[in-house]
Amino acid sequence: MTQQASDYQGLGPQKVRGVVVRRPNRTAGVQAYIPELSKGLGITMKHFFKNTKEYMLGQRPDPVLESTTDGVNTISYPEQRRPYPERFRGMHRLTHRDDGSPRCVACLCCSTACPAQCIHIEPAEYPEGDERRGYERYPATFVIDELRCVFCGFCVEACPCDAIRMDTGIHAAPYDSREQFIYEKDLLMSFCGREGDQVTENARHEPGESTHPGVDRERHGH
Amino acid sequence: MPTFKLDEREIPFEKGETIIQAAHRAGIDIPHYCWHPGLSVAANCRMCLVEIEPPPGRPAMMLDVLEWDADAQDYVPQKKPKLQPACQFQAGEGMVVHSEGSKNVKEARRAVQEMLLLNHPVDCPICDQAGECRLQDYWLEHQGSKKRMKDEPVHKPKAVVFGPTIVYDAERCIVCTRCIRFCDEVAGDSVLDLRERGNLNEVVLAPGRELDHDYTLMTEYVCPVGALTAVDFRFKARVWFLRSARTVCVGCATGCNAFLDFDPRDQKVYRHRPRENPDVNKYWMCDEGMLSYSRVHENRVLRAEIDGQTIEFERGLKKAAKLFKSADPDRTAIVLSAQHSNEDNFAMLVLARDYIGSGNVFVNGRPGGDSDEILRDADKNPNARGVVGLCTSAPPAPFKELATALAAGKFTHVLALGSDASDPDEVAAFEDCENLVLLTSHRGPLAAHADALLPACTWAEADGTFVNRTGIAQESERAIFPHGDSLPAWKLIAAFGRALGHSFGWTKLRHVRAAMAPDPGAEVAADAEAQSGAPA
Repeated sequence: MTQQASDYQGLGPQKVRGVVVRRPNRTAGVQAYIPELSKGLGITMKHFFKNTKEYMLGQRPDPVLESTTDGVNTISYPEQRRPYPERFRGMHRLTHRDDGSPRCVACLCCSTACPAQCIHIEPAEYPEGDERRGYERYPATFVIDELRCVFCGFCVEACPCDAIRMDTGIHAAPYDSREQFIYEKDLLMSFCGREGDQVTENARHEPGESTHPGVDRERHGH
Repeated sequence: MPTFKLDEREIPFEKGETIIQAAHRAGIDIPHYCWHPGLSVAANCRMCLVEIEPPPGRPAMMLDVLEWDADAQDYVPQKKPKLQPACQFQAGEGMVVHSEGSKNVKEARRAVQEMLLLNHPVDCPICDQAGECRLQDYWLEHQGSKKRMKDEPVHKPKAVVFGPTIVYDAERCIVCTRCIRFCDEVAGDSVLDLRERGNLNEVVLAPGRELDHDYTLMTEYVCPVGALTAVDFRFKARVWFLRSARTVCVGCATGCNAFLDFDPRDQKVYRHRPRENPDVNKYWMCDEGMLSYSRVHENRVLRAEIDGQTIEFERGLKKAAKLFKSADPDRTAIVLSAQHSNEDNFAMLVLARDYIGSGNVFVNGRPGGDSDEILRDADKNPNARGVVGLCTSAPPAPFKELATALAAGKFTHVLALGSDASDPDEVAAFEDCENLVLLTSHRGPLAAHADALLPACTWAEADGTFVNRTGIAQESERAIFPHGDSLPAWKLIAAFGRALGHSFGWTKLRHVRAAMAPDPGAEVAADAEAQSGAPA
């Protein structure tokens, strides 16, 4: 037998009583809902025609800049996109030198800094006779697993040569296989910055380049 | 033992010892570049300068210097004590030396460090030494300031190929002459020398020569900066990713103590470097030994194979055991390996004597090679002496006798640890061997004739004890985890024994070690059990 609350409190069983409520007095007009219905539909149709007109005439408010004004300001993604902030960290790119070679010297600072361990680099040395031999090495392979990447930007901070940047403005997009997230050197070098450039403004002038301020023994006669 | 005072601490020293030697022994590191405990004193880097108080009653040796006075905005004449290099100055009874505690010493170290970095390219990101570079460490400890020189630094030759193993970068070189002294004093081949002076000073090869003696990689190891880099290790890894295991080199019977540096992320071994041991290798290792780390990854047997076909490990083990099921113990040969540790060979011996019941024990290993008076031994096996020591009743017969016996058809079954052949000419005798089971880490010369191959670990993947040529038993630590299906050889032998139907109980290395040298307590317990009639 279940114990009732009132039993427990020692008050004995109580009988629940209902109260009869009278029907409200409504006119036939109210009871039929028709005027209210047409009032509501009127508002809907007002917006419908206004939006259609604005849409046809191209007068829609900008969904980003005028997002609080009246009218339809939905972003029609992916045709329309919210602009990313200036320092948005998108997909990586490898910057170029003037001659189109990678600026990266394969120092592995980025993969050291990477908390997700998603960067794999195999360094190689310039061949005998190359002007950069001894001063530099270059990445024979440079692979970023964008699935593992957490887009923290530490690699960009760590890079001493400004060779890796995340200013492409491209965000991680869904693909249909994991292999498509393995970005290799050629792909990373094919991306542009948001201004469409493949170089960097913070160029470090390397020995062997015409812009390098230094001298070497042959040219200086030490 | 006489003592001297270094920064308020009493340091004992032996007669003739220098300040830095005594401090080094006491665990105090006076910063230094050119001094190396195993080399002569050059005192050219000036990093170890210390202030030594004059003997009582004698005036201090003072130098007249001009010091910048910020208030007067001019240089004013000052007197400063003359500092002495701790690496060259012999310690004396009651001497009072100031190192960390002296303002003058601190200033001198800062200045020396700044001078050494004056023409340095500071290309740490592409330098292999970065992470274990003295210049980096001492910059942090003793300088910590930016470069003040605005001029273009002096440029010197870069990536000079010194020989098949070493590449030299003169710009990074601080000309401490450690490499030169190493070649002169330890390797006994004066192939390196200096040329020019001052900031054009650089290390050069003797005319017409290459750096190609047997200890070239040591020049890279003694280099405190990134001037000398090893071709083998160049650009392979950043040292801060590597971890070290204390191993013993398996290149020859000398048994040099080594660090095996590996990357724990990809379980790959990257280099070998010497570990100090005054009784064995002092501070050195030979090229052959330093490059022998590559054996961990080269030419490995990682899966079980039956008649040349790769097979799942458990099935391979069963099939291999099946070959031995009906073996006649007298026509079964057991081959130990001088390449393997004491534990591995002991397990093999126990299997042979206690379970299979065969007394036909042979020993195998790698063929001999070159030797010298410095470190290298002609016996290229790390544990030849250990194997002989294990076989207490009768020494194991050499590999050649096994080949002869096989040719005469004396044995039908051969169970061998390792697939080397200490006599490569005799390998053909194994072709007709009906049942040859190899428990091996590498695909050696015998592997081609094997009926069953079972994968064993290399020394880098298992703990083990190796006895070197002078009879010193040395323990080698595991570096990486076993690759593929391989098991430590003692474990593999135990598994093989179980597959044969024997009750091989060992599952941990300590079980093997306890069986090898039962501690007195265990013996007493065993005796007590035997006396009380309990089953052993």
